[in-house]
Amino acid sequence: MPRLPPSLFWKARREISPLAASLLPACRDLQSTANELRWIKEHVQDTKSPIPAKIRVWRLVEKRAKGIPLQYVLGTQPFGDLEIKCRPGVLIPRPETETYTLHLATLLTQSHPPPPSLSILDLCTGTGCIPLLLLHSLQTTLPQTTPITIHGVDISPTAIALARKNHTHNPPPSPSPHHTLTFTQHDIFSPTLLSTLYPPNQNQKLPQIDLLTSNPPYISPHDFTHHTARAVRNHEPRLALVPSPTQLADGSNSRYACRPEDVFYAHLLEIAKAVRPRRVLMEVGGWEQAVRVVGMVFLGGEGGKDRGGGGGVGGYEVEVWRDEPAAAAASSGATGDGVERVEVAGREVVVRGVGRGRAVYLRLRED
Amino acid sequence: MDTHITLPSALLERARKLAIEHDQLSAALENDFDAKKAKRAGELSRVANAVKELEKAKAALIELQGLLESNDAEMRELARDDLEATNAQLAESSHNLSVALTPKHPFADMPCLLEIRPGPGGLEGRFFADSLFQMYKAYCSSKGYRTRIVQYEASDSDGSTGSEGEIPLQEAVLEVQEQGAYGFFRGEAGMHRVQRVPATEKSGRTHTSAVAVWVLPSFPENGTSDSEADWDKPESDFYIDPNEVRSETMRAGGAGGQHVNKTESAIRLTHIPTGTTVSMQDSRSQQRNREDAWRLLRSRLAQQRREAREEQARQLRSSVLANSQITRGDKIRTYQYQQDRCTDHRSGLNTHNLPDVLRGGETLEKVMDSVQNWLINKDIEALIADEEAAAAPSKKKKGK
Repeated sequence: MPRLPPSLFWKARREISPLAASLLPACRDLQSTANELRWIKEHVQDTKSPIPAKIRVWRLVEKRAKGIPLQYVLGTQPFGDLEIKCRPGVLIPRPETETYTLHLATLLTQSHPPPPSLSILDLCTGTGCIPLLLLHSLQTTLPQTTPITIHGVDISPTAIALARKNHTHNPPPSPSPHHTLTFTQHDIFSPTLLSTLYPPNQNQKLPQIDLLTSNPPYISPHDFTHHTARAVRNHEPRLALVPSPTQLADGSNSRYACRPEDVFYAHLLEIAKAVRPRRVLMEVGGWEQAVRVVGMVFLGGEGGKDRGGGGGVGGYEVEVWRDEPAAAAASSGATGDGVERVEVAGREVVVRGVGRGRAVYLRLRED
Repeated sequence: MDTHITLPSALLERARKLAIEHDQLSAALENDFDAKKAKRAGELSRVANAVKELEKAKAALIELQGLLESNDAEMRELARDDLEATNAQLAESSHNLSVALTPKHPFADMPCLLEIRPGPGGLEGRFFADSLFQMYKAYCSSKGYRTRIVQYEASDSDGSTGSEGEIPLQEAVLEVQEQGAYGFFRGEAGMHRVQRVPATEKSGRTHTSAVAVWVLPSFPENGTSDSEADWDKPESDFYIDPNEVRSETMRAGGAGGQHVNKTESAIRLTHIPTGTTVSMQDSRSQQRNREDAWRLLRSRLAQQRREAREEQARQLRSSVLANSQITRGDKIRTYQYQQDRCTDHRSGLNTHNLPDVLRGGETLEKVMDSVQNWLINKDIEALIADEEAAAAPSKKKKGK
């Protein structure tokens, strides 16, 4: 990280406030320093406390100046129309996640015919932001009587406790007995995952899942030390960022011969193979990872069939979503019909929107 | 509002013509119904009724004046009692007539956005921009209008404050959520000039600076049935084809996603055909910033479209009128601190209670009312000019 010139500190002190100069090392530029200082002041104004406002502002600025993410300092992050509580130990919701979640909700509500019911599963749910925003968006657009069942799963008890808090913190605009959202603490690599979530009934058949979402850890150990922001590295849980071999102590990770940062995708695709959800959305860390995951969908893990990962997942249309999936494709990559495509393993894949590669989206072909 | 309005004779002439046309149409409609004629008659009925009211009041006045010269004392007494009421009625009906004749501004019923920006130049203009912002805010709260601060950005050139504790404002947008606010505030658009000795001035010289105020129509947050405010319809001025807008999230480079956790909620929208850009970063919520940016973009484009149309209409009119049209480049009002004076250059009104103006008090209301009157008169003049322009070519045709 390059050193900030002393003149910038002078400018911050003179032009914004003396407090700004202490925020500068954490915020890195004047504009975001001014914004964050204003948000801290607004937060203090909007919350009541017997402690004088000035002291509270000062204390929060001091915390932020230590490099603690603003979301942990203020305890919240706006996410769509929701306010998601953030606590150390649980990953902070990102704006990219917000964007594709809203886009997903639009796709679900605009499908023809309208869905008679919806069943959604979110793995590695963290704060619960994805299922909460999906539920909120679907509740306001679908008829009240459409049954919606959502499960959120995370290995971390801290995350599950926070997700439940977030559920009560963001009550539905109009409660309906047809909507259920439950958060369950479970290891997604455990073989008992599906039977815990969907207790087998007489038919011994899994229910149809309409959407499987996941924002799993996807950063390699090397990228974690070299290519993450200091505030991420020092203050957010590594568990949510880097797939760790120790976490798969039962040896299950050896089933997948892919790169360590792609382990979760290999397993998510295994789950997709078993439950055949109508749609799958997996967040990825960039373009190369997106292409690798698409390759895994077509061919299975790099190890191929002999490694137990099996072949690919058949029967799905595959798309890569960029940061802004709803935006018109950048003109450079687009072909004659205005749709950008990329070739992976000899097959053409549609690429949506503009920005960095952000998610891989699968849609089950209707027979 | 004046108690008595004298209508320009040309306008009265036009009103009488319209009333005659209305009577002819009604007579024709009695014998034979025609949808087109019925529609025209409906449009004219407001004017025709207003003319009739006015004629009635005038006739009554003449009669009363005859009675005043009567020999009977009791009769004179009665007439005097009636005179005042009749005069009031006359004033009211002539006002009604002018209102009936003036086309209503299509945005007049809408809420509005007040955009305040300092003109080129120093700190002084920025401080005064904040004073104007506070003035409009105070005015709205004293009138009981609901407001919302959409944007309030301090410039980053200096950390000092003005003598009244103003901040150096770079840009502010105040939304006045009252229905019809656009109608009340549209006269405020233009350059506001300030003349005073700045707090930072050591040798006591008077500085002149300018602040631009733009008044944009804002559509109500809850959809209304009003077609002008319905931005989903392509015929509305507020309609924007989403495909013509480039939306950018302003984020730092790098991998994004889990790799960074900075709050990056800024949104920039660009309307590609006109090159109009709006960026918003006030809120931590990118959703909120996006909504605000869209609203501001819609308002700006609607105003641009309206102005383009007015410009076209203006070119059709006589050149005399063109000079008195205001555009956003013209100086409209001066705030003179040394002389404790506020002068509106359009209505010509001079007031001498500057502190009350800046507090958004009654004096400001007086100034704004004078501008409203001026605007109505301008609209009527423009209307007559339009009528004459429309009449001229048809006469030529007849001559051929």
